[in-house]
Amino acid sequence: MTQTLSFKQTSDLNPALSDPATKILKADKLLGRWVNTNPETRGIAEISIDRDGEHLSVDIAGVGEQGPIPWPRARPRVFANLEEEAGQRAIALTATFSWEFMMAETNIRVNKGVLVIVLSVTFRDNSGRLDYVNREFFYRQD
Amino acid sequence: MNEAQVQFAQVYDRVQVDSGTAGPIDLSGLMGTWINTNPDSGGIARMVISGSNESPSLRAYAIGPDGSIDWGAAELKVFRAGPASRVAAGFTSSYDFGFAETQLQAMILKGLIVLVQTHHFKDNSNRADYFVREYFGLDHGRY
Repeated sequence: MTQTLSFKQTSDLNPALSDPATKILKADKLLGRWVNTNPETRGIAEISIDRDGEHLSVDIAGVGEQGPIPWPRARPRVFANLEEEAGQRAIALTATFSWEFMMAETNIRVNKGVLVIVLSVTFRDNSGRLDYVNREFFYRQD
Repeated sequence: MNEAQVQFAQVYDRVQVDSGTAGPIDLSGLMGTWINTNPDSGGIARMVISGSNESPSLRAYAIGPDGSIDWGAAELKVFRAGPASRVAAGFTSSYDFGFAETQLQAMILKGLIVLVQTHHFKDNSNRADYFVREYFGLDHGRY
């Protein structure tokens, strides 16, 4: 018996999505401590991605005036990344970091050994600051 | 609220925005029809971004096995190039198709839109949720 799959684009029908191997893609390439490639950044200093039982966790340290600022820990959502990294299928993450005064929605992936984060920042206070998008790059520091 | 009073999680966000800076958003770099640079894509073929500063919208057309699939119009949340910038530099949007939810997160880089799609299946097809990143160029019609 065959099942008719719903779709809204051809990628939804990619056989890799139904491959059991895709469901158990390893996060190894993302795990570890990642340091910003830009020593002058005024944004994110470093990112740590760890296993937390059956799940993953993402910890970020922002650049502060008197040292790093720890962000609230996030539990990311995991996605199969249909791009290949070094000939292997990989995973990508999305994670949301939330404070009373702002929220940062991020996507995180590794490309050629570099961890890339894109963050869309929404301010929730009345500071007049404007919502913005930014991207930063990180190298692994084990 | 002055600069010393603003809360921040990274120094980049410690800015004071005056009324002159916080003028109307400049959406000119975002408006238009954006074409996928990959002719072999199995994802979104083109996006049409239109509307006003107050209510910009997106209409996506995806590539299906038998031709184009109109995803319909969706609201855009626009993001600027920085916390004190007037220039639009990206957006987020979402579609709920019933069997799946699709989140879009876009950023303009070097004249291209870099679009990340994340797809979460809600049906019982047992397909893995997936992530796709693609590039879109503006159909400017000049050359």
